[in-house]
Amino acid sequence: MDDAAQIIIDKVNHTYRPPRGRPVLALADVSLEVRPREFLALLGPSGCGKSTLLYLLGGFLPTEAGRILVEGKPVAAPGPDRGIVFQHFALFPWKTVRGNVLYGLERQRMPRSEREQRAQAFIDLVGLKGFEDSYPSQLSGGMRQRTAIARTLAFDPNILLMDEPFGALDAQTRSLMQTELLGIWQRTPKTVVFVTHDVQEAVYLADRVAVMSARPGRIKAIVDTKFKFGARDPGVFRSKEFVEKVDELWDLVRVEALKAQEEKVA
Amino acid sequence: MAAAMARVDDQPTLAAAAADLTQAAARRLDLVFRSGAALLSILLLLICWELFARSGRVTMFMLPPFSVVAEQIKTDALSGDLWRNLGVTLYRALAGFAIAACIGIVLGVSMSRNRVVRWFCDPIISVGFPMPKIAFLPVIILWLGVYDVSKICVVVFDAIFPVVTATLAGIAAVDKELVWSARNMGASERQLTWQIMLPAAAPQILTGLQVALPIALIVEIIAEMVMGGYGLGGAMMSASRFANSPGVFAGIVEIAVVGFLLIRAMAVLRRRLLSWHQETAE
Repeated sequence: MDDAAQIIIDKVNHTYRPPRGRPVLALADVSLEVRPREFLALLGPSGCGKSTLLYLLGGFLPTEAGRILVEGKPVAAPGPDRGIVFQHFALFPWKTVRGNVLYGLERQRMPRSEREQRAQAFIDLVGLKGFEDSYPSQLSGGMRQRTAIARTLAFDPNILLMDEPFGALDAQTRSLMQTELLGIWQRTPKTVVFVTHDVQEAVYLADRVAVMSARPGRIKAIVDTKFKFGARDPGVFRSKEFVEKVDELWDLVRVEALKAQEEKVA
Repeated sequence: MAAAMARVDDQPTLAAAAADLTQAAARRLDLVFRSGAALLSILLLLICWELFARSGRVTMFMLPPFSVVAEQIKTDALSGDLWRNLGVTLYRALAGFAIAACIGIVLGVSMSRNRVVRWFCDPIISVGFPMPKIAFLPVIILWLGVYDVSKICVVVFDAIFPVVTATLAGIAAVDKELVWSARNMGASERQLTWQIMLPAAAPQILTGLQVALPIALIVEIIAEMVMGGYGLGGAMMSASRFANSPGVFAGIVEIAVVGFLLIRAMAVLRRRLLSWHQETAE
């Protein structure tokens, strides 16, 4: 199993240093392994450092203590092998949907006809056919996140890093997007590391859920959440197995959420 | 039968069409009123000017009536003087503005992206911005003479500051996640600067340019008034020397109109360039 791990996070510590005020230990001795084509959710209360861990994995922040290996190589900088999707989409507002999706392909020096084709294929995949020439400001939140997902998938990363990607969407859109993400993931299998604070979302989407503690973030537990259901089966939410998993994880998270809240009050 | 049916069916559509028509008319009226209202106060001011000047409380020399000033503008326009002066002023103000815009943006970008450039330029910008650059006129005349080059230089010197500071502020405010996304997709530092940061900062940079444009015109007019020669400001000064009161007031009106048109043109340009931006999206 250990040899098969695609991502190895080994005793990583991270200190957040705000421009004013004293430094805060955000991550303490975090160790975690992610297997190829696995859907792993990082679940924890807000401020537990789960996004920080994702940014370290993406190479956006420097690893100060410990090591992070992706396919055997230490992470040093951002790279197109690890595509990220942000909560607030981070689309280029001056580019159309097509322009946004094309940007990563242009950077890879793909020939024009090929990248046009590829961009169109991924715009179709996320269901934005007909909106190619719209600007992000003309789209709904759900459509913006679809664009961002298409943009990231288009440059074909082996690993997909998702930072609460549906956190800014309304409940209905979020539920639809979850099902859609599972569909996309099954069609283009990739390793996914998915940050969320939504227990149901984690259980529904992930193969395994890593529960993180309140600050400083540690891996508190890793729970297997793989079900024998079809991804689109709406009945899954009502199944006994699902409800029990959600309860089990809730119990783990609730304690940490309370701790996080107390710390905020204090 | 069919005809009667059609008539019955037609009635609601006709009513709807009539409603549409009145709505469209109301919208048009609203538009006329709104664009007209902006000019109404100006018109009122001109009428007051005309009445006051003709009331006998002031002499023709102190305040010529607007109609006389308008007549003077017409004469200048027909003789070609107006166009030559206007051309000279616009050329120097806009050339200075364009140079200030280019250098200002490049300087602002370099300062944002390069620590050494920032370390060097930051204090100079901070000291220079609040300084009355127009006070350098004697020095600039000494070094560069009194013709186009020296005037354009003063304009650049003055108009560059708002461009630099707006560019700095704009780039500082670029969303971190936008930059990370671009890096994630393999953008080089150079591409990051020109393909991501510059367009992302465009709204603020354009605001800086909108501040710089009237400054360019104002400084150009003042430079002309001090140095003399052709141009709207220069013409005003020579009219003043010849005690040509309508000529002086004609200059004021001309400058006001030119400034207004320039600012409007800039606003249109902004809407064009930022068609993607939330502020222009309906």
